[in-house]
Amino acid sequence: MLEFSIFILIPLASAGLCYLIKNLRVQYAISLFVSTIHLGLSLAVFLGLHHTLLPTFFGVDSLSKFFILILSNVYFWVVLVSYSYLKRPVMPRAEEGKRFYFMLLNFYLAANSAAMLSSHFGMYWVAAEATTLSVAPLIYFYRNEESLEAMWKYLFLVSIGIAFAFIGILLLTLSAKGTSLAGGQLFFWEFIRKAGQLNPIWLKASFVFIFVGLSTKIGIAPMHSGDIDATSNAPSPIAALMSGSLRLTALLGVLRIFQIIRPTSSFEFAKTLLIIGALLSLFVAFVFMFRVNNYKRLLAYSSVEHLGLISLGLGIGGLAFVGALYHAIYNSITKVVLFLMAGNIHSRFKSREVDKIRSVLNVLPKTGWLFILAFMAISGIPPLGIFFSEIKIFEGILFSDKPYLLAVVMFFLLFIFVNMGKIIFTMLYKKGDDDKLQSGVEKFELTHFVAIVLLILLVAIAVAAPDKVNLNIIDIAKDFGVKL
Amino acid sequence: MENVLSILFCLSLFYVVVTSRVKAYVTVLRFQGIILSVLLVIPFIYNFSIFGIILPATLLLVKVFLIPGYINKVILDLDIKRRIEPPIQQMIFLPLVIATMIIVFLASSILSKITELDVIPFASGFSAIIIGIYLIIFRRKLIIHVCGFLILENGIFLFGTAVASELPMMIELGTLLDIFVVVFLMGIALNRIRGTFAGFEATHLGRLKD
Repeated sequence: MLEFSIFILIPLASAGLCYLIKNLRVQYAISLFVSTIHLGLSLAVFLGLHHTLLPTFFGVDSLSKFFILILSNVYFWVVLVSYSYLKRPVMPRAEEGKRFYFMLLNFYLAANSAAMLSSHFGMYWVAAEATTLSVAPLIYFYRNEESLEAMWKYLFLVSIGIAFAFIGILLLTLSAKGTSLAGGQLFFWEFIRKAGQLNPIWLKASFVFIFVGLSTKIGIAPMHSGDIDATSNAPSPIAALMSGSLRLTALLGVLRIFQIIRPTSSFEFAKTLLIIGALLSLFVAFVFMFRVNNYKRLLAYSSVEHLGLISLGLGIGGLAFVGALYHAIYNSITKVVLFLMAGNIHSRFKSREVDKIRSVLNVLPKTGWLFILAFMAISGIPPLGIFFSEIKIFEGILFSDKPYLLAVVMFFLLFIFVNMGKIIFTMLYKKGDDDKLQSGVEKFELTHFVAIVLLILLVAIAVAAPDKVNLNIIDIAKDFGVKL
Repeated sequence: MENVLSILFCLSLFYVVVTSRVKAYVTVLRFQGIILSVLLVIPFIYNFSIFGIILPATLLLVKVFLIPGYINKVILDLDIKRRIEPPIQQMIFLPLVIATMIIVFLASSILSKITELDVIPFASGFSAIIIGIYLIIFRRKLIIHVCGFLILENGIFLFGTAVASELPMMIELGTLLDIFVVVFLMGIALNRIRGTFAGFEATHLGRLKD
């Protein structure tokens, strides 16, 4: 019960407290405390120091242990910087948004933990929808036209997507008709154990609905548009949270059904669908990198690209599957740094348009350098994490039965890298006309500290390759029947 | 009995397609809510239990009173024009819907040969899902989009009863709560959209693009 409280009940209670308490500093202290114990417990569970016992509908396996640690890590850093972020001057109408900020964050943590720890499709659905509900008002933080439109589109598209996922869950029940699973509960593990008995036609239909539905939340093309608008208009910490953890929550749902479909004859179909979604995402990122003129949208498209790469790895299997899981860790950490630095740039230049941002390295040297490092990390420059996971994914593709895909992927990635680099270096180096912005020395802020810690963490995980992480990923691969 | 109710549900879908009054959508939502609640109550007629009645009662409360009441309030508060000007004519929309329904019913009856399922509730539910999506695509008013989404959700519910999946009560209640909060947030957003965009149509939402 203790772990259930820490993962779900205490965040819920603290959301209630944050609603009642008006003082922002107290809200921050409560949220930080909750996020710290959440991170502590996730780490303990991940390292195997703590044996978890959760009530019905919840459970821990190697996959949920892995994902909840990623969530905890991202959430902790986001909460840590949130107070200093909220202290920055904003338009008077955005002041109202601050009141509910921490309440919604805590609710998000509770809902997201419930989704990640659920062992039942129904529970997963309820929790995943609740994460959408907690994030949607946070997207509308700035109270302007763009954020309102982004919130509306996100809420609407994702709710429809989640409704599709629900149809998928119902079709899964239908596939169990006439088997020993019929009339039983929708527990993942029972379906995984008896997957062979399921009706392949309904199972395929179920996978299609769940994958397409959750794609709206993962940001897999062609369902990515709501996600792009939301990530680019939300405040930076929220964008970091969405890119770093919320997309993975939805991916977890797809992985669950993927795990069920694995031992059946429909497995090839599911793999093909994942690969198609992945390639479409890479293609969309490739196309939009040519024309994007908003650096937060640029980062959002980068998320589409990387979630595409993760799906590709999962679809290819073998070493690429392992690479994809590593990629999930590295991408989530790097995205936090990128969005926090983008937030610093936004609060100084008051614009998200690339054309209006000039000589960031002069105006905001600390932010600028950290932004460059994070850009190098996301582009796969060694020794910054993503290099290693991408190598694994590429090697997996090369030795799979579809090696030609590697050429396509490399082509897309090369142009994405070149275009992204062009935009970012223009922002950082090109001299602007406005001299007013040139003066002043940038103070060392909490966001810089967090960015440095996260970049060190990125290198540390990649270089030291902790056994626990490796073993856990191997365990997940074994659960998915991946041959290494 | 389930079949009769499902056919009534289908008729309500036709009404939605041909009407041009915004209020009619709310009435249809209430009507569908009643049908779904009755469907849930049927199993308890011969085998009454207090515990089992909680879910139909909550469904009735949420889908017949709370959500339609709230949408009505939004329509009144925001003084949304009572008539909708559809970008495609009713006379095109109706045949499209009929064609869709024919395909869905035929497909369901073919599929029922593979797996045992109640064709009429299954096909009615699926038709509602597709018509919900049509409403979102073919209508401009955002409030109709919300109604379309709710019709889609009702369709899923009917579809669920046809599939005969029995989700635990706690989770069913959770889904109802989720849907209610979605509609609540959409209502708040609509309120803000009036203040910000001075209109309620999807054409106003075109700022975000590359």
